[in-house]
Amino acid sequence: MTASPRSSSSLGNSFIARVGLMAALALIFSYVEAIIPYSASLPGIKLGIANVVTVIALYKFGVKDAIAVSIIRIVIAGLLFNGLFGMIYSLAGAALSLAGMIALKRTGLFSVTGVSMAAGVLHNMGQLIIASALIEDLRIFFYFPMLMFSGIVAGILVGIASTIIIKSIK
Amino acid sequence: MKQYIRKADVILLIVLVAIELAATAVLGLQRGSGDSPAKVVIKSGGSVYATYPLGEDRTVVVPAPKQISVDGPSPDPNAEASAQYDYYNVVIISEGAVCVSEATCKNKVCMRHSSISHPGESIVCLPNRLVVSIEAEEGGGYDSITS
Repeated sequence: MTASPRSSSSLGNSFIARVGLMAALALIFSYVEAIIPYSASLPGIKLGIANVVTVIALYKFGVKDAIAVSIIRIVIAGLLFNGLFGMIYSLAGAALSLAGMIALKRTGLFSVTGVSMAAGVLHNMGQLIIASALIEDLRIFFYFPMLMFSGIVAGILVGIASTIIIKSIK
Repeated sequence: MKQYIRKADVILLIVLVAIELAATAVLGLQRGSGDSPAKVVIKSGGSVYATYPLGEDRTVVVPAPKQISVDGPSPDPNAEASAQYDYYNVVIISEGAVCVSEATCKNKVCMRHSSISHPGESIVCLPNRLVVSIEAEEGGGYDSITS
């Protein structure tokens, strides 16, 4: 994304500047997330504060911004702190959760909190699917309820934070 | 943006929690009894590497199937010729409990995992594609169901 061609007619300058700014902010959240000491006996259970930026990008600027911000954030965070495996898991989780968020937002029935909650669960499911494919053992689905619970809680917290921010940046 | 929570959100939450509880119940039923003789199954890269009885103490070095880490040193092409592996895990079976004592991966999640001793439990090392699990000795059907 840094080496964007000069003849980028489809990518407006304001889009590039906005996405760059949001990706940088999300990256800081990813860094904060990486230095929080989570319990080692419960791998995969995280707060996902960087997703606040994704949710806000989706609600304030639309689908394209949200997708661009999450891909840039995950790839750079993967290179910097999370490693290649972390990147693959995050990309799978983000793909599933973005698809779910876009779909649920379109229905117009759910609040930001509800959409974010579903995204939290889907994010963890995406990671679990990739993990089971890599390890070729469905036994890892024993971890499903725990991941689902953490996804619900993290998603609600992210959703509430996003709602407050979306309100105040009108 | 007037409300934090809408009716549909609550319904979604209830549905998600219901799925979670159902999954917990199903997975709980699949766990066998802790009293039955159990075996330790070590899988590496999807295929069974070795199976040992849980009752016998031993230490096993499990090489990673494919040397695919980007963090460590690049693997030796003649790795099969040498006894040393670039990537491996050490699994210890001791007094009816299993733990991973050594791992070449970066995050060491498998090492910090508490030791396992009941059928259905497992320790996983994703970077080395290792699954150590305990299974009930008799295959097919439930021998007993504990709550």
